[in-house]
Amino acid sequence: MASGGSDVDALNQALTSAHIFEGKQRQQLLQQPDLNHKGVDAEEENGAGLEITCFSDVFNDVPLHFQILRLPKQIYVWIGCSSAKLGNLYAAAPTRPKDTVSVTSILGGTSDNTGTGIARRLVLKTGLNVILASNIPKNSPMLEAEAEKLLVQKLIHLGYTRQKAEQSSS
Amino acid sequence: MGSSAPRFPVTCKNFSLDIKGNKTDVVLCSYDDHFLVIATQIGAMGTILHARKEEGVSIEPTFNVSSIFGKRDEPMLLACARQLIEHISTSGSSKSLVLSLGLKDHSVETLRGIVSAVIDNCLW
Repeated sequence: MASGGSDVDALNQALTSAHIFEGKQRQQLLQQPDLNHKGVDAEEENGAGLEITCFSDVFNDVPLHFQILRLPKQIYVWIGCSSAKLGNLYAAAPTRPKDTVSVTSILGGTSDNTGTGIARRLVLKTGLNVILASNIPKNSPMLEAEAEKLLVQKLIHLGYTRQKAEQSSS
Repeated sequence: MGSSAPRFPVTCKNFSLDIKGNKTDVVLCSYDDHFLVIATQIGAMGTILHARKEEGVSIEPTFNVSSIFGKRDEPMLLACARQLIEHISTSGSSKSLVLSLGLKDHSVETLRGIVSAVIDNCLW
């Protein structure tokens, strides 16, 4: 009986958080029309597929584009700077035992670390495996920092970040 | 912001289907130089493969398919990527493909199901 109760609790929790995702998704819908709208509609018909959030911003006359795909155990993020090239692909994951993070470049990266820092900090904030694709050019730390800031703001807004006791909201 | 917001530069398609009893979520994205295809049954991206067409002198194009993250010893996954890059090439696009497969089984039927679902909904 006791174990049954905890199962029901877990189920309730999952359903509640799924509901929150759906609500936020609809908010995104109002802001991002077009094809992404169609994609999300189809997903609702099929009974909750995957959520993709797409948004754009401008920093110092440079357009920045973002895509966030939330999988149950992973997050895929694309950051586009001016162009819509895929860019370099990085994989990052939390590594036991000490709650550290491992990052590696899996496509296109040289020895620069334009995306590795962002990927690492995303894992720290979300606690999930992260696949990051980014075409931010080398040697633009301001752009990198701004892109990361916008991304994290959106992740917090969508509820994908871990709840931290002291920090988070601002 | 202007009166008409510019369209997001990346086209995405997002759907879900059932393959051999497993719910499979598929995401297709079209970037400037790549197509991204994610097919997952396990809630994660799984193995990531990269497939590209080699520019050569001969009439027949050649393709390079490799696993860049995850399993490296699953020939069926490579075959799946190979089929898709060939379809991309015959459709006239020379973009490369990043294919992510997080599957519960690597049987022929599953991969065939994925290839046909992706081709039916392709962005190229």
